Amino acid sequence: MSLLKLEALSKKFGDHWALRDIEFSINPGEIVGLVGPNGAGKTTMFNLITGRHKPSSGRVLFADKDITHCKPHEIRRLGISRTFQSSRPFAKMSTLKNVVAGRIFSTDFDLFTRPSDIETAAQLLELVGIAHKAKLPAGELTLSEQRRLDLARALATQPRLLLLDEVAAGFSPVAVKQAVELVLRVRERGVTLFIIDHFLTLSLRVSDRLLALDRGEKVAEGSPQEVMRNREVIRAYLGMRRKDE
Amino acid sequence: MRKEAVISKGLRHVHLVQAALLLGFFLLLLLPVLTGYSDYILQVFTHALLLATLALAWNILGASGAISLGHAAFFGVGAYGSALLSHDLGFSPWFTIPLGGFLATTVALIVGFLCLRLRGAYFALATLAFVEIPKVITDNWDGLTRGSLGLVGLPGLPTLRLGSYSLDISGSPVGSYYFVLCYALVLVSVVTLIFRSNLGLALQAIREEEIAAQAVGIQVQRYRILSLLVSGFFTGIGGALYAHLIRYVEPGLVYGLHFSAVPMIFAICGGRFTILGPALAALILYPLDQFIFHPLAPAGHEFLYGAIIILTILFMPAGFWGHLRKGQLVSIKTGSIE
Amino acid sequence: MWTTVLVSGITLGSFYTLIAMGFALIFGVTHTFNLAHGELLVLAGYVAYWLWKTLGLSFVYTFPAAILAALFVCLALQRLFSMLSEPLELNSIVVSFGVAILLQNGMLFFFSGDYRLIRIPALSQGLHLQPFYLSYAQLTLLVLSLLVIAILYLLMRHTYLGKALRATIQDREAAALAGINVGAMGILAFAIGAVLIGLAGPLYGCIHYLYPTAGLQATLLAITITIFAGIGRIQGLILGGWILGLAESFAVVLLGASWREMVSAVMLLLLLAINPQGILGKEER
Repeated sequence: MSLLKLEALSKKFGDHWALRDIEFSINPGEIVGLVGPNGAGKTTMFNLITGRHKPSSGRVLFADKDITHCKPHEIRRLGISRTFQSSRPFAKMSTLKNVVAGRIFSTDFDLFTRPSDIETAAQLLELVGIAHKAKLPAGELTLSEQRRLDLARALATQPRLLLLDEVAAGFSPVAVKQAVELVLRVRERGVTLFIIDHFLTLSLRVSDRLLALDRGEKVAEGSPQEVMRNREVIRAYLGMRRKDE
Repeated sequence: MRKEAVISKGLRHVHLVQAALLLGFFLLLLLPVLTGYSDYILQVFTHALLLATLALAWNILGASGAISLGHAAFFGVGAYGSALLSHDLGFSPWFTIPLGGFLATTVALIVGFLCLRLRGAYFALATLAFVEIPKVITDNWDGLTRGSLGLVGLPGLPTLRLGSYSLDISGSPVGSYYFVLCYALVLVSVVTLIFRSNLGLALQAIREEEIAAQAVGIQVQRYRILSLLVSGFFTGIGGALYAHLIRYVEPGLVYGLHFSAVPMIFAICGGRFTILGPALAALILYPLDQFIFHPLAPAGHEFLYGAIIILTILFMPAGFWGHLRKGQLVSIKTGSIE
Repeated sequence: MWTTVLVSGITLGSFYTLIAMGFALIFGVTHTFNLAHGELLVLAGYVAYWLWKTLGLSFVYTFPAAILAALFVCLALQRLFSMLSEPLELNSIVVSFGVAILLQNGMLFFFSGDYRLIRIPALSQGLHLQPFYLSYAQLTLLVLSLLVIAILYLLMRHTYLGKALRATIQDREAAALAGINVGAMGILAFAIGAVLIGLAGPLYGCIHYLYPTAGLQATLLAITITIFAGIGRIQGLILGGWILGLAESFAVVLLGASWREMVSAVMLLLLLAINPQGILGKEER
């Protein structure tokens, strides 16, 4: 049984196909990389899966349930969380409270925060390595710390599937190495990962499979080695296109 | 090093601020004695307290990040609702005041239906326009509301008796003062509960980063409408109280710019995202207006409020209470501002 | 009777377009909302009233003074707006709301709360054209409004500054890259807006009572017409003005004069409900 299944998924903005007829599925426990040049439709795909935008046609299935027309918070409750390409912390809240917020609204509503929620949040900050910044306003964190916070906050919602949007872009080699370890540790917690990775910094090292998009269409899928040898993918990345396209 | 310095400075003035608050509270409690039971001073402070409750109520919506320029719609509907129910049907004000609040909530529901897809500037413009609707309807529905002449001779609030003690609310300025003070304390508790609970956390998340709030599973529209309804309810209650305190309503008065603008200005000047800021601003600025600016310029003294809101937005957008509390951010357990 | 309503609607609507033009121009160029627009209009009306009533100045000569007064306040407002931080649209609304309160109280102080009207005897007569009646006041309003609109249209089309303004309205960044001084365009927009207000204010004083809080209605209708028109289209402003003018005229006849005040509010709410993104909104990707 696949955890996430996309069936003929398409999205049109005006006359422009942002995504066209995508067929793809992800199995539980996998780490899948989503690669492709700018404008390939990677973030659009995330927006469709999480319900921020509605597809023009096609379906999204999560654990065999059709979630195409669910609202974002319903999809979140079913177990899909995401991070953002440019991280979006609650800037004036403390770092810890950011994660607490992720935790609280993923369960049934309680009027007050329980101590156990705060404890869990603190552990997650430990996991992503920014526990020492717990009491600072999130807006004061560095860019890479904000990405880690984004990840901790998404993990706090206890997802089964986590969508990471450019989690390691612009990282130094050392930071990339840490991110690789972090992603693997997240998988150990039983979370399936789908990772947008434009520069392939992360996905070549951790992914079981890659999905390559170019201008809204699927051009390749398979093991990282296979996909990287694919002529279409190379062409898309190097910007070499046939004249008649 | 720098961070630690900020922390200790923050902690030091926590005590100072708490002491000042406590002192202020006792001054309010003893005000009638301290001012020698001056009717005029008590009336000014009664209205200041009422405006404080309106600013607190406005701020419940303000916490979601929205700025409303039309809260007079809820105030007016609450005032007229309670006035008509008590005057025409003879119900006790104790019964009609909450009803006024619920009528205002109904109006808030309509506003929510029409405007809650709007953000920022466009929500503000919509609320500015919306006030006109209940105002013109009240003005023209002569058969029900007596039209633009208004309604005089409303029943006052009955005397409260507890054993041998009695509090004549409508009959004496002291009674009115203590009654509104009690209501203000109730509202402070309500706002504290909202802001300190997960409700407040949701509102803070929504105003700071709506998309991320949605992503962590917060039902953004549901919380926004909830804050609007609660805010409208308490504004309506305020309107109803006002009607029975002055025992008179009139469209131009209760739907007037005064009740849209002044609570908003107090809330922003005090600090939109703080619990006490809006109330403190009301208790400082309204007496300032009445005791100093009103005698100087009986016509036009409210220019003060225009000047205050301009200066606040330009130089202290967090409001004075928000500004004062910034240093304390780190001293609270989970680290959020209120 | 209906032709009379139609004519008065078009007349009123043309005047509303004149009122909205300054607001729309300032919003288009600077992306700020000026909620004190109506108060400025009333102020210009008061200046004209005062010169006409107390100094006995001919009505025609009150226009330059009204323009000067509006210019003074508008340029001060421009300085104020240039100090604002983001979010500009919302902050400009709150600050100009404060300016509106300042102006209202200033006018209350100087002119008192009494209702004032500029009564020009010559304008109260009219023409009995079959099948409708047209007062000279309406005629003046119609002709002057259309004249000013036409002049502004030609200036925007055919002068260098007009083209620069239009370019700024369409795309501020591109205009800046093309060497247009966007800051100066903002000042120019406020200045032209002030001239338009100065021209409209005295006329407003002839057809509406002046009192310190009268401005809100004018502000609302300027917002409504601007949001109806979208950005940078004088034709849209004219159409919006006419629709609003006609709607008000028909409301007065069908429901009664006192319902008129609700028309622009209802129209604005409907417009916003239909298009919640507002004027500048785009669907995000």
